[in-house]
Amino acid sequence: MGLLTILKKMKQKEKEVRLLMLGLDNAGKTTILKKFNGEDIDMISPTLGFNIKTLEHRGFKLNVWDVGGQKSLRSYWRNYFESTDGLVWVVDSADRMRLADCKRELHSLLVEERLAGATLLVFANKQDLPGALTSEEIRQSLDLDSIKTHHWLIQDCSAVTGDHLLEGIDWIIDDIASRIFTMD
Amino acid sequence: MAAIEAADSHVLEEKKLAVTERLQKRQDDRQAELQKKKSEGDAVTRREDVTKFLDNLNEKRQALEDGVALSNQLEKSELVDHFDSLSGTLQKLQRYVSECTAFLPSYEIRQAQETISNLQNQIQEKRDELLPKKKFAFSKAKKTTEKKVEPVKQQKTNDHTDEIDAAVELAACKFVKQTGQTLTKDSSEINQKDVALVDLTDCTIKLFGAPSAIHMFNLKNCRIFSGPVSGSIFIRASTNCVFVLPCQQLRIHNTYDTDFYIHVTSKAIIEDCHRVRFAPYNWKYNTLDSDYQVSGLDKGRNNWDKVDDFNFLAADVASPNWSVLPESERTLSWD
Repeated sequence: MGLLTILKKMKQKEKEVRLLMLGLDNAGKTTILKKFNGEDIDMISPTLGFNIKTLEHRGFKLNVWDVGGQKSLRSYWRNYFESTDGLVWVVDSADRMRLADCKRELHSLLVEERLAGATLLVFANKQDLPGALTSEEIRQSLDLDSIKTHHWLIQDCSAVTGDHLLEGIDWIIDDIASRIFTMD
Repeated sequence: MAAIEAADSHVLEEKKLAVTERLQKRQDDRQAELQKKKSEGDAVTRREDVTKFLDNLNEKRQALEDGVALSNQLEKSELVDHFDSLSGTLQKLQRYVSECTAFLPSYEIRQAQETISNLQNQIQEKRDELLPKKKFAFSKAKKTTEKKVEPVKQQKTNDHTDEIDAAVELAACKFVKQTGQTLTKDSSEINQKDVALVDLTDCTIKLFGAPSAIHMFNLKNCRIFSGPVSGSIFIRASTNCVFVLPCQQLRIHNTYDTDFYIHVTSKAIIEDCHRVRFAPYNWKYNTLDSDYQVSGLDKGRNNWDKVDDFNFLAADVASPNWSVLPESERTLSWD
């Protein structure tokens, strides 16, 4: 049996990873999801509720939950915490006015018991805008260095152009895989 | 060569087996957990069971309150366990409520959440009263300050949403803290850029060009005009204004008594808004057509009257928070 056959067979077995995508409203969560899935992003309306997508990527079955970020929806985020492998926190890097808000919401998630084991990927989105903060500036504003409870990474990206989305998703999958699929 | 490949594939085969086993186990665990939840007697799955949910909630609330009352009669040595079990029960109740949110009306969800936080406070207060922390000699003084600080803190974090993060500078392209001015920017300044308009009173702002995004905050008695915005416009905490804008997405928060003349290719949304009215975009200026091309907005698609209100999600009843601006009241020319 060659390597390819083995890989194919492995693919057939479910390698399911559940990602929960959260962030303030207007961060670009749905745009990231649709762009990653190769869909049209021109028609996206603000999310009333949530979107679920199941994607195949590198042999993994990704269940991505994209939940609306409006203030009135944030109290429902907790309903989606169960069995989350990875948390994708999306930041509008040009929204300088709400970074304090953004930081507070993120840190309140990290103390949630049901997200305790989850890997954290922070997308510093909208890097295509000239006024966007760099991922370094966002790292400081959100005080990411204080996070000791989760594996985390900040990745600058642009959902509109698609830049660096893949890098971020690959990292979070690798981190989850090394945790789940090698631990006994 | 063949031998190596065979050995390799043998190793791989073993690895593969190990991985698939682990995967299977994980899948089984997940299924078992789901099954467990399903079979739990009190898991409510139907709309008609709202009353059952309320009964359950009431019953558990009563039990917890009795538990709190009971703690006065207990020995000190038993108290820690007693409070732990109360907290445990409360956590279970919280989980139960979360599970039921799928079918509960939002009013009931809010009530249930209030009940839970009430119970949490009761337990915490009783615990503080009967099992005071005695790390320091000044525990009494400390306790009072702690109690005082907490509600203030809560207040502050709530307010935060309507405050600007002072630590971060705004973007380069902006108008900030102006009163009674008429201000313009042309396409060379704003094309493909994100623009910030903050703390303006009695101003008229004209943006001749195609920005990528506009963030607006705390505008009073202002008139804001813009060329086509390729991305989203975000408006917060504004009153008594007129906005005349085309964009892909429009998000409006905490805004009152304001008229919007808009071209939106997706859908506008409002949250915590009252008395906002909508009409189609009708600002005209020389380079509007070429700015449309720069922005890439589809001129033929305008959903100006399809507004989603996040505070009013009933599909069959119109939201009382917004309306279509009657044609007789529309401004037809802005010059």
